[in-house]
Amino acid sequence: MDPYYLALTTINLAAIYGLLALGISIIWSSLGMINMAQGFTFAVSGYGAWLVAQHISTNGLAVVAGGVITGALAGALIGGIAFIPLYDKPNFPLRSLIATLAISLMGGQCLLWIFTPRVKALPKIFGIGNVHFGPVVASYDKIGSIVCSAILLLVTLAWMKSSRRGLEIRAMMQNPEGAALVGVGLRSTAMAVMMVTGAMAGLAAVLLSQNYFISPTAGVTPLVKGMVVALAGGLGSVAGALIAAILIGFIEAVTAVGLGGQYVLITQFLFIIAVLLVRPRGIAGMIEHTRE
Amino acid sequence: MTDVLRIEDLSAGYGPLGVLHSVGLTVRAGERVGIIGLNGHGKSTLLKAIAGLTGWQSGSIKLNGIEIGGTRSQGPGRYTHKIVRMGLALMPQGDALFHGLTVADHLDSGAYTRRAWRERKQRREHVLAIFPPLEKLLGQPVGKLSGGERRMVSLARGLMDDAKLLLIDEPSLGLAPKISKGLIEALMRIDIKDGAMVIAEQNLSLLEGKVSRLIGLHAGKLKGGAVAPDMPLSETTHHHH
Repeated sequence: MDPYYLALTTINLAAIYGLLALGISIIWSSLGMINMAQGFTFAVSGYGAWLVAQHISTNGLAVVAGGVITGALAGALIGGIAFIPLYDKPNFPLRSLIATLAISLMGGQCLLWIFTPRVKALPKIFGIGNVHFGPVVASYDKIGSIVCSAILLLVTLAWMKSSRRGLEIRAMMQNPEGAALVGVGLRSTAMAVMMVTGAMAGLAAVLLSQNYFISPTAGVTPLVKGMVVALAGGLGSVAGALIAAILIGFIEAVTAVGLGGQYVLITQFLFIIAVLLVRPRGIAGMIEHTRE
Repeated sequence: MTDVLRIEDLSAGYGPLGVLHSVGLTVRAGERVGIIGLNGHGKSTLLKAIAGLTGWQSGSIKLNGIEIGGTRSQGPGRYTHKIVRMGLALMPQGDALFHGLTVADHLDSGAYTRRAWRERKQRREHVLAIFPPLEKLLGQPVGKLSGGERRMVSLARGLMDDAKLLLIDEPSLGLAPKISKGLIEALMRIDIKDGAMVIAEQNLSLLEGKVSRLIGLHAGKLKGGAVAPDMPLSETTHHHH
């Protein structure tokens, strides 16, 4: 087993799952909603990127932009249907869970109807080839997706740290009533959250589609893994989601190399169960204050 | 001149529970008003109703002459951010802080208008002059501060924008007597200009002689002094119709 290959695969998977998990985690802690439609956002973004590649340009930047913008729009759509009309009604967490699940199922059917079940492939936006750093051999794919997700993660975190809107989102994650008392509008902030997390899922979709095909149900596995990473990390914790993403990515890489790809979900879930037995609130659930 | 706050026939509560019963209150520019009452008689509910945070409410509430009340049967907090942006600052019981965020983040969060956000550095200096102990704590997460320090953060956050009406719920609650006294003194040092301040408090002796008016709140009704002095009720009513 080549340790460098293992490390690179781990980081690559961690970056992609991190994008999804962070989105799920931020939505849960700021909006109080488990977004089951994050997988739908993922699948739609893949098609958005594919349409750009078919009709506009196969330029890497254009394809990425197509995926990211489609993701943001899908996020806005989910927010408009599942959050805005429901958030001040009784039993919101359950209602929004069902609403997002419904969007996910209906959206999947719509994709099947429009694009047919035949799978699509994105162009290799990073090109084909390998880079050699001493003993390490890295494919363009991996380097490209690690760099892209690192850039989006850093930009998002810096934006959350330094802008007024980012401060509003962080405030809402900690205390929605306190946020209202400093003039934070729940609806507009929620839509901002949905669009940013949608864009993250969109980028993850483009990056993952470098190795997997785009299909109407392509969002299911990433949703499950994103959810699992978010839970293991401690919902609402940015640091936790990133740590969990690295651990889950590592387990996937080790399992795939050592045992075979078909065992990946089994080892990942065993790991999650073990984590939640020891730390019911997730890895960083106790470190950072999360929404009660 | 319009009153900063004018409440008429306000009733409010939570679910089947009615807490305030047809309350009227006028606060004029430049006034500091103390509302004195025991636990459970409706002080917090009165302040929360002004911010639109009660379970339900009915009756008129005017902030600088603009209606912010009305009848609402659900959705607590739905309009709170709009009322805040019209010039209200509420420092509630329990402080409504963001435990993982730093003191500096809290002060920044209080600067919600574009202008205040641009000037947040200068404004921070200004509030730190009122609450000097916060200077050293700027980088600390609020969850690690003491009760008195948290109260200061909550008050300082409310002062970062140009609020016309400051509502302060039980500044002394849970604090040592010496610290509460210091906090009340800091509150009296705040320059309210053409705005006004309403302090709800259980401890009469803390406010006595320091505020413009003291009003009692008993069983959801205000007792005495609820209308600004040297202005008979009929005249204030006439003034607005």
